[in-house]
Amino acid sequence: MLLSRFWYVILGLVTGALVFVLYISMSMYNRQVSRAMAEGLSSDSQVVSWYLKNDARERSAHLISFTLEASIPKGLADASATEGKLTDKIRQSVQEGLTKVAAKIPKDQAFDAVFAVDQHGRVVAHLGYEQASGMEDFELGGYPVVADALHGFVRDDTLVLDRLYRVVARPVEYDLGSLPAGAIVGARIIDDRFARDLSTRTGAAVAFYAGGQRVASGAPEGFDRSQLDMIVNDIKAVEADPDYKTKGRSAVRVINAALSVVYGRLPGEAWDLGAGFVVGRNAIPVANPLAFFAAADDKDKSGAKIPIVVGIAILAMGLGLLFSFIEYTKPLSLFRDEAHRLAKGQIDQLQPSKFRGLYRTIASDLNDGIDVAAGKGGGTRRAADLSQVLGDLPAEPQMSAFSFPGDTGASPKPKPSVPKSVPNAPLPSAPRATAPSGDDGVVSSVGDATQKERRLPAPPPRVGGPPSPSSPSGSGDDAQIAEWKAVYEEFAATKQQCGESLDGFTFEKFQNTLKKNRDAIVERHGVKRVKFSVYVKDGKAALKASPIKD
Amino acid sequence: MLRESVRVGVRRAAPWALAATTIALAFASADAEAARIKGSVVGYQNLLNPVWEESKDPDRHAYSFREPVPTVRGEFRRLFPHIPKELCIAAFAAEKQPVQKPILIRVGGGRTTPVTIVVTPGTELQFQNTDPFPHRLYAVGVGTFTASDTVKGGVRSWSVPAAGTYEVRDEAAPSLRMWIVGDPTLAGIAYPSMKGEFALGVEGDGDYRVQAFFAGKKVGPEIPVKVKGDVDLAKTPIKVADPPKGEKAN
Repeated sequence: MLLSRFWYVILGLVTGALVFVLYISMSMYNRQVSRAMAEGLSSDSQVVSWYLKNDARERSAHLISFTLEASIPKGLADASATEGKLTDKIRQSVQEGLTKVAAKIPKDQAFDAVFAVDQHGRVVAHLGYEQASGMEDFELGGYPVVADALHGFVRDDTLVLDRLYRVVARPVEYDLGSLPAGAIVGARIIDDRFARDLSTRTGAAVAFYAGGQRVASGAPEGFDRSQLDMIVNDIKAVEADPDYKTKGRSAVRVINAALSVVYGRLPGEAWDLGAGFVVGRNAIPVANPLAFFAAADDKDKSGAKIPIVVGIAILAMGLGLLFSFIEYTKPLSLFRDEAHRLAKGQIDQLQPSKFRGLYRTIASDLNDGIDVAAGKGGGTRRAADLSQVLGDLPAEPQMSAFSFPGDTGASPKPKPSVPKSVPNAPLPSAPRATAPSGDDGVVSSVGDATQKERRLPAPPPRVGGPPSPSSPSGSGDDAQIAEWKAVYEEFAATKQQCGESLDGFTFEKFQNTLKKNRDAIVERHGVKRVKFSVYVKDGKAALKASPIKD
Repeated sequence: MLRESVRVGVRRAAPWALAATTIALAFASADAEAARIKGSVVGYQNLLNPVWEESKDPDRHAYSFREPVPTVRGEFRRLFPHIPKELCIAAFAAEKQPVQKPILIRVGGGRTTPVTIVVTPGTELQFQNTDPFPHRLYAVGVGTFTASDTVKGGVRSWSVPAAGTYEVRDEAAPSLRMWIVGDPTLAGIAYPSMKGEFALGVEGDGDYRVQAFFAGKKVGPEIPVKVKGDVDLAKTPIKVADPPKGEKAN
């Protein structure tokens, strides 16, 4: 038993330890996820910043092509020299130059809008900015990015106009000894296409926002970019983030259980206008140990060492079954076999040495029980005690009421009624007669040790007497009377042996008493007949009645 | 009248190619004779546009990269102002002058035109949005001119309440800053050409003071002028700024 019990303890401890480890793993996993996500978001934010800067640089290089197109510097120089209204000829010339150069720029590097600006800040010609079509007084000279270009610098900016624009500008020189003739300005709209390109090249899920609204977003495959719409409710709050205000990048902000983001401000005028970008990542924390199964994908599952898992499971099951077999099945089987042999009479008693543990004790107890039974004469199983079966009977018909004049001590006091607690108790089935030979077939009880010692070895001499006339029918009544006669003789012998007087103890009286009792038992329990047997109770002869159904 | 003299002054200055076309339109009237004060400003290359100067500060995060183009000479790589819009030459009379007619201010391209203006108190300024998107102008610290949308082509009016200097900004364009100087003795204003030449008209002869304003502040000396017919100050140009000592072109 110890092995299996220890095995249960071990299994319990191992299970508890595994659950504990799972919880630790869950905590570590969540912490690592959180840390990895923070690092990933920081990295994404950096990458997006670098991308924006690098993209602006690359695009600014394309502006050189415009400055080298002869019609543009010449047209801008002419425009700068004109303080009044610009002529259509100048505008046309510059426009053609812009169109010609723009067509040569690769699509992925192309601008959405290009402006040629003279020294007065007037837009002499432009491409792609249809909002300003027909506006002859359209100008850009007040923007720092354009002013810088008009003063000899190349730089970028992010402008929040009707839309969000990434802008680069550089000077256009006509006479190297004089002020630049003007500036060329290229603008790229920050829209979903821009965000998608950025996301494709950086792998980041990114959205741009301005004026408290998301204006563009792009995300790699597997990331639902509509999640980034949720930042709208957080933009106000992030403006209170000190890092965001001073450094232009927020700490990791948790939008919901699955989405965390980092905000970054866009360089340029957009910085002061609260426009920026946000990168997001999905992080699914594990809520409980079982959630690992839900969180794991096929790749994770394929990484598990299934043979080891199966091996451990089989080993654990095998050990459990083995211990169970060794400690339960095998001893029980042995005990069953031995008991079977005992029942068949192949052995007289069980051999406790064959058994272990509790079975050994049980075998020993059984042997003791058998010995006790054998010591009582090897009787069969005890018949039901009449008083236990029927309860107390009325004084006259009661078996123990065989008190005849001068025999008062043997007769218990009569009781007026049968206790209600047992009136309908089922009678035990008629015991099979397994009594040793010499028994007359009447079921007798197995008494205790003292009774055994007092049991008479032989029936007393029979007392003669006529058969009972009360028998209603012929041969059946004769057999009944003969049987009762035998009981009478045995009872009388027992009385004699017990030192009781037989004065006045006649068969007729005895028969009448048996008959009354039989009739009462038959009526009460619906049995066909009743057998009476003699035994010694409290040093006096007594009778027991055994109801027989068949 | 002030408006008339200014208008005439602008008209007669046409050969000087003045850049005050917008102002001239605002002062449109043709029924008065006026004297002209012609002159020029020098040293304006040493002025620095405050908005652009702020923008070049890396701590302002206005760009991710900003690099000089080596083929542009260093002297041009200073963020000096576009004086036809930013340098206002004003003539002041000895007495108070009447309120001017409404003046149109164009709002577009990241700035206003003009950027600095001197007016008599009570003058109505009409801000017209020439950009294809809304602006939200407001005067700093002035309760009567708070931020509100001015749509494309829309006009928003505001009268200068009293003498003093006012700064107008735009919530939608941080680089847009305008300065308005209110002075009751203003007799006339003009804006110089790219070369620094100007011509302003005043009403009748008399003693005047000519002063240049840039970014809402006086720059250069105040020039007393005794007007008796046209006056030419070209021989004594107004020096609006000295070259910075030891400062490199950036």
